[in-house]
Parts: sequence; structure tokens; C-alpha cells
Amino acid sequence: MDTNETKASIYGPHLPAMERTMEEILVRVEEIRERLTKKYGSDPIEHCLSRIKSEESMREKCRRNGLPETTESALSVCHDAIGVRIVCAFLDDVYIIRDYLKKIETLTVVEEKDYIRRAKENGYRSYHMIFKAEAGYYVEVQLRTISMDTWAALEHHMKYKKAELANEALIVSELKRCADELASTDISMQTIRQMIFSEDSK
Amino acid sequence: MKILFAEDTADLNRAVTVVLTHEGYTVDAVLDGEAALEKLKNDSYDVIVLDIMMPKKDGMEVLFELRHRHILTPVLMLTAKVEVDDRVAGLDAGADDYLTKPFAMKELLARIRALIRRNEGYAQTEIRFADFVLNTEEFSLSSGNSVRLSIKEFELLQALVANADKSLSTEYLIEHVWKNERDAQEDTVWLYISYLNGKLMSIGSDAKIDGTRGGEFQIQG
Repeated sequence: MDTNETKASIYGPHLPAMERTMEEILVRVEEIRERLTKKYGSDPIEHCLSRIKSEESMREKCRRNGLPETTESALSVCHDAIGVRIVCAFLDDVYIIRDYLKKIETLTVVEEKDYIRRAKENGYRSYHMIFKAEAGYYVEVQLRTISMDTWAALEHHMKYKKAELANEALIVSELKRCADELASTDISMQTIRQMIFSEDSK
Repeated sequence: MKILFAEDTADLNRAVTVVLTHEGYTVDAVLDGEAALEKLKNDSYDVIVLDIMMPKKDGMEVLFELRHRHILTPVLMLTAKVEVDDRVAGLDAGADDYLTKPFAMKELLARIRALIRRNEGYAQTEIRFADFVLNTEEFSLSSGNSVRLSIKEFELLQALVANADKSLSTEYLIEHVWKNERDAQEDTVWLYISYLNGKLMSIGSDAKIDGTRGGEFQIQG
């Protein structure tokens, strides 16, 4: 066996094409953003991040799921090699942008999971979509509000902290409480925004 | 459960103390009002029983002073007088109940139990309505999902659930939920109703509060 093979990317020769797919999607997101900004007078997207899952994380994910570390696993079995995260200011914007994304003719929706309407047990909230792009690559899009994003960042720290946490149960339940409070605040802010707009239209 | 008992008639004091202790209460018994206030400096109680006619400081003075010190413990007044004015003055000064002497021991015990129960707010931790649960300790609202409510949202929802069989007017809600707070107005109620409807939807509940801005509201399961 060629000793260089272990050093070859798990994505094989696909990386440049994957990057182009990601760029194309970002261009479409930018178009949606401009259209909505014009329509509503304010930018619904707080920020948008994208990444191609690193070599190391992808291999680790394959191992964790008992998959062979092959290009097939990385591109066809796993659906998150290309990831886009769109963070919105308000809750309704998440659903508005979702609807716009579904209208993009070069993307086919493979799966949608609404972890906002049905939060994960630990309190995690986000709207997950998996698309298949024209070039054949899967793209995972996560849509969430700023407060959901803040929460996820903190939860991520806890989850990946190497040392065993002595008070883990307390932290987990307090994080869940915060998630539920933030979700509540998101709805209140949304409601206030509606009230402001209805004042405008009077 | 700990009771402070102030009564200057030694025989009655002793007899009641024996009965209360027998019932499982811890009793601090004193013979005058000053001693009662002294005890209240160092200890806290679940119920306070005060005779009105006592030397040094009478029951009314003790009551005034303890409420002035922000002690919220339920107070039962014992009175030999049957005058309505005394009872009214005691209740207005912050007593929770009164009992006229002579009284049956059974009645005293029942009134003490009632005061303890009232103080514990009937200990209902979960209110179930339609497909959701309102947790009164955590102020959480849950069905498929859960969210945390603010105090006013919680009180508003509690009022709507308790009156699910009728419509509540905006005025009623301002009076009962907002206790006529100066800033509370029609739009405040409407905003909070809207918050709750958004939150009910977000937890995946089918319950909904019907009504329009400034009008009457009723929760539907």
C-alpha cells in the first residue's frame, strides 16, 4: 500500500468543488439577505458562517459512528461535510429565510429538522436543513437566532471540556433552564416587534 | 412546625402548650407581649398565636411591630372581647384569623392547620390544562417543548386557567393580575396575552387564548 495514502484527504479530489458549492450557496444567501433587507427595511441575518468540516473532525466522526474513513463515508453517508450557519436577529426570520432557501432551484431539500418547535432534551434549539446541491454534495444548513447561538456556544464549551465536571448534572440542568428562558425571550422580542410594526401600520 | 404562643393566663398557656406539643408542634410559649417580640428577634415561626389582652405589650402592639419588621408569618389573634371593632382592627393590622375566648381546643387546632396550609399556597406544584403543564415552582410551561415564563406571564396564565369556563375582561385582569399597577393598561394586557399565545405555540400546545385588544379573554384547550 502506498504510504502516502494515509495522508491523502478523506475528501479525495473533491475539496475544490466542495468549496465552489459552498461559495455558490453563500452567494444565494447574500441574495436573500439583500432582497429581505429591501423588503423589510432591516437585515434579517445577523451573521452567516460556513466551513468545510476539517479532515480531523470528519475522520473522528467516521470513527465515532463506526464508518470506514473513506470519501464515500465523508460525502455520501455524512451530510455535514459542508456546513452553513445562518444566525438571525428574530425568530420569525429563521422561518422566512428557510422558505427562501427552499425556493432555490439548484438545491434539493433532503431533510428538515425543527429543533426550535421541538427542542432537544438538553435545550438545544436550531432549524436544521440538509440540501443536495447540483454538484452532488450535501450541505447542512443550520438556522437559529442570536440567543440560540449564544447558548449553543456555551453548551459546546461544556461538552468539549476535557476534564470531568464534578457538578455536571447541575450545569446540564441550569443550561436547560437558560435555553428555556432564552426561548421565552425570543418569543417576547418577536411579539414586541410585531407590536411595533402594527403601530407603524396604523 | 414551630409555633410562637403568647398568652398571659398561666393555666391556659400551659394547657394549650401541652395540646400543641402533643399534636407534634414545637412550641415557644411566653406570658407577655415583650417576651413574644424578644423571641421573634431570634427565631422564626410557622404560626404565631397572640392573645390580645396581655401585660407589657398587648397583642395588637406585638402584631403592629412584627408586621413593621416585615415578618410575614401567619398570625392568629385570641380575644376575650366579642366586639366587632376589635376583630376588624386586628385583621386590618395584619392578623390572618382570630378566635374568641373561650374556644374549643379542636377549633384552635383546625385554625392553626388552616393557616399553615394557606401559607404553603395549597402546595400545588403542577397545574394541568388541556395539553400543557404549568409548573408553579419553576414557572415553566411545557408540552412538547418547555419555556420559562416571567412572573406576570405566569400569573396571567394561572388566572386564565382558573377561569377557563368564562371570559375575563381586560379590566378584571388589570385589577387582579396587575393589582392596578399604575403603568398597567389595555396594551400591557394585550402584549402579555400575545406573549402567552406565542409561548403556547412554541411548546407545541394546541391551547390558545381567544380575545382581542382591550376586550375579553378566555383560554381554549
